[in-house]
Amino acid sequence: MTALLRLIGTGGVIAYRALFNWTTPAMFVGTLLVGPLFQLFFFAYLGRQLGVADDRFYIVGNAVLAASVACVFGGTMAVSNERRFGTLGHVLLSPRSRTAIFLGRALPYALNGLLIAVSTLTVSSLLLGLRIPVTALPGLLLMLAAAALACGFFGLTLGAIGLRFRDVWLVSNVAVALLLLLTGVNVPAAGLPAGLRAVGGVLPITHAAEGARRLVAGDGFGAAAPALAAELAIGLGYAILAAALLKLFETESRRQATLETV
Amino acid sequence: MSEHAIEAVGLRRTYRSRTGWLRPQRREVEAVRGVDLTVGNGELFGLLGPNGAGKTTTIKMLNTLLVPSGGSARICGYDVVTRTREVRRRIGYVFGGDRGLYDRLSARDNLRYFAELYGVPGREQRRRIGELLELVRLDGRDDDRVEGYSRGMRQRLHIARGLLHRPRVLFLDEPSIGVDPVAARELRQTVADLAATGTTVLLTTHYMAEADELCGRIAVIANGRIQALGTPAELRRHADGRRVLEVEAYGVTDRQLAAIRTLPGVREASMDVVGAAQVLGVQSDAGYDVQADVLRALDGVRLGRVTARQPTLEDAYVAIVNRVAEERPIEAVAA
Ligand SMILES: Nc1ncnc2c1ncn2[C@@H]1O[C@H](COP(=O)(O)OP(=O)(O)OP(=O)(O)O)[C@@H](O)[C@H]1O
Ligand SMILES: [Mg+2]
Repeated sequence: MTALLRLIGTGGVIAYRALFNWTTPAMFVGTLLVGPLFQLFFFAYLGRQLGVADDRFYIVGNAVLAASVACVFGGTMAVSNERRFGTLGHVLLSPRSRTAIFLGRALPYALNGLLIAVSTLTVSSLLLGLRIPVTALPGLLLMLAAAALACGFFGLTLGAIGLRFRDVWLVSNVAVALLLLLTGVNVPAAGLPAGLRAVGGVLPITHAAEGARRLVAGDGFGAAAPALAAELAIGLGYAILAAALLKLFETESRRQATLETV
Repeated sequence: MSEHAIEAVGLRRTYRSRTGWLRPQRREVEAVRGVDLTVGNGELFGLLGPNGAGKTTTIKMLNTLLVPSGGSARICGYDVVTRTREVRRRIGYVFGGDRGLYDRLSARDNLRYFAELYGVPGREQRRRIGELLELVRLDGRDDDRVEGYSRGMRQRLHIARGLLHRPRVLFLDEPSIGVDPVAARELRQTVADLAATGTTVLLTTHYMAEADELCGRIAVIANGRIQALGTPAELRRHADGRRVLEVEAYGVTDRQLAAIRTLPGVREASMDVVGAAQVLGVQSDAGYDVQADVLRALDGVRLGRVTARQPTLEDAYVAIVNRVAEERPIEAVAA
């Protein structure tokens, strides 16, 4: 049991350092901390101009979304960078659980995403003057953590697909754009056609953003709990999907040499 | 415990690949076409053969990365298709080359990660990693990022990784590629020590001297089939009854080489380039003295040293491989 926790925890952290391209201070601050902040300002001011929705809508939504870039690209790198280093074969020679090896890798990214979301929310509400009730803070933290975790597993799923179909960045770039469009963060869900809204419902972020808005509005934890549960369920779904795809691709590769194992 | 470390029966592997998008072409390569092998515990076994012969493919089937298209194999008694976990616990794999390491991590962290993956217990990791870094002489540079390592240093780190979990069966696929002569000698010593302490080693290499020195038995594989198998002394007999003439020359043409091959008594003729010179090796039946004919065929070419000697393992290898080179076609292309 402790051995399994070591594989998930220690293994996950070493893998994060090995595979994440953006750990240099410049990349980290620029891409992950400052970037999302400007995106948030962009939508907040655009919203003020057009009068579609108030500051709270954009600030809270974009703060939740801020977790996604690090998690989606990170989760992608956590799997598909194995190809870049030619290490996949050596990983697959491990006798240990694939699920533990790969799902453990998503955790540092989730933590990373949480940090970014918290910092984005703090800075932007100070600068734009959004007041958040103190009692909402614990629930908000949970909500952001659920969103970051779901995004991490979503990224892992994309990474698995990238490992197999080789066009990694195409997959994750499209996915990030879809998150921007479909999660109701910047475009109110009511304004989307029903089909797209349904897609948004199974993406990470959507439910967490809605729940976080309720908390900030002072609706209380009870009102936001179903959204939290939905976000966690979505995260679990992607974790299972990622594990299943990785297993499938590994089996397929042993039969058809479809993965570059050395 | 099974009495054989490696057993393979009728091992086959066909690769199917598709190229092109608008007009897809299916290609089939029969990389391994029926390999039978039995390697005993603690044996040091060599697998030699030309590029593309199927050596790496054979190893990948034995180490569970590929499922055989036909035949079966067992490692320490465990089937490589159905008992992968047991097999993986018992094997190490060292693959020659620059890739296969996490460049952004230090040597120590690379080993820490793979120690986790390969199930080295947490308590033992630190000591085991220290031991191995010392063994491959990377201690002192062990906290530097691997991206700054030379080729040979990477290769030595590959070897350390392969040994982390004290595998019972070790697959070494061209382990000495890019390693300097002194380190290569140390590597051979390490491999010999491992075998002496009971580790079974399956080694592929293109260095005949290395195979000759280390291996108890050798299989020569070409065209996906084992063409000869035996101790180095037994293999040398494939060149028995022959003599080898070596001629240093400058500017031999392909046409002249072809002409030499048709001289009476000549069995093989090959050409290597050593520095600025070409070295022509001509194997002939012992009863013939082909020297005069060969030198006549090289009329007009500047010559260096001419020597006659007894055949080596390399000559035997060349004889075996050339013998099968005629019956080639292995690729089938279908639309
Ligand atoms: N993934 C693959 N897809 C298609 N064909 C492959 C694949 N891997 C190997 N082959 C083909 O299989 C044959 C045997 O390759 P293999 O790598 O086993 O040779 P090898 O004996 O290890 O050669 P070398 O000495 O160059 O390492 C070659 O014709 C090669 O092109
Ligand atoms: Mg090879």
